[in-house]
Amino acid sequence: MSKSTLIVIDQPPYGAWAGREALDMAFSLAAFDQRVSLLFMGAGVNWLRKSQETSEIEQKSVEKNLSAAPVFGVEKLYADAAACDQYSLFPESMIAGVVITESSSELIRQHSHTAFAG
Amino acid sequence: MTHIHVLHILNKAPSHPRSVECLSALMPGDTLLLIENAVLAVASLNEYRAGIPVFALAPDVIARGLGECSENTTLVDFAAMVDLTAQAQQIISW
Amino acid sequence: MAAIPVQNYTLVITGAPYSSQAPQTALLFAEAAITAGHTVDRVFLYGDGVHLASALVTPPSDESHWPALWAKFLTDNAIPGIACIASALRRGLVNESEQKRYALPASNLLDPFTIAGLGEWVEGTMTSSRVIYFHGGG
Repeated sequence: MSKSTLIVIDQPPYGAWAGREALDMAFSLAAFDQRVSLLFMGAGVNWLRKSQETSEIEQKSVEKNLSAAPVFGVEKLYADAAACDQYSLFPESMIAGVVITESSSELIRQHSHTAFAG
Repeated sequence: MTHIHVLHILNKAPSHPRSVECLSALMPGDTLLLIENAVLAVASLNEYRAGIPVFALAPDVIARGLGECSENTTLVDFAAMVDLTAQAQQIISW
Repeated sequence: MAAIPVQNYTLVITGAPYSSQAPQTALLFAEAAITAGHTVDRVFLYGDGVHLASALVTPPSDESHWPALWAKFLTDNAIPGIACIASALRRGLVNESEQKRYALPASNLLDPFTIAGLGEWVEGTMTSSRVIYFHGGG
């Protein structure tokens, strides 16, 4: 197993900052040519919903932030299947390129580091 | 002390979503270390997976008046917490 | 029982003092690690954890002063304490050069903490044998 990091986002967007800071961690690893993927679980899967329109809450859309992930070199975006069910997040309501995972614990084992931003 | 694959360090109260996520991620070969608010779980420990060793940070347990409730967990001090982190292959702070 | 391997740690604190237990748990852990013969390569403050590096924190005199206790530990053991620059600036923690750059009325970074980018954390994940996170509670 080559060294790789899984950054986990389990907080919903906009109401908390830890998810944005998690994204910064992932982008930094990628900027230093380190292998990194993102896992969305719990309420964090709401990051992945399409058509977020944030102008009236005066925050940058995390959907836009996230669309830069492949460009920066983040390898995979994973979403926890049970959490997607819980929030009625179906493939057609999700941004492109997300891999649904049935077992987050297996995913954790496939990476050498797993970290939350807070 | 035996081989630890993943050491899960949990600091959230049992009702916190992160606590639920942590418990569902436990697999055979893992070890769970409860610190800070997570030690409140020693009062209701049956929910943990069988076969997963559970440790709790003694200063946090004692501070919360739970010293008598911790029969299903092994109480550890900070030196033993350091030993656990030195022995585990992988560590996750939930 | 096998001997416990010597490790070098990067510690990441993301929970703020006086709103979480993270800085005090991290300090007691760091002291125990040093006592056991391990080394601490660096302490990285991220997110709300940067509040630990504020020189303006003023708890009541009968409460522990976590920034001062951390500053003494870092100085005594010559361990770099680094606050993430993006987290720090957002939360009003600045050193003199950031004060000048943004024309701010004051700086408030506690010695010996420094401010630097997430690259310091990336370095930790690449070179330390253990990276341990101390998050806010809840």
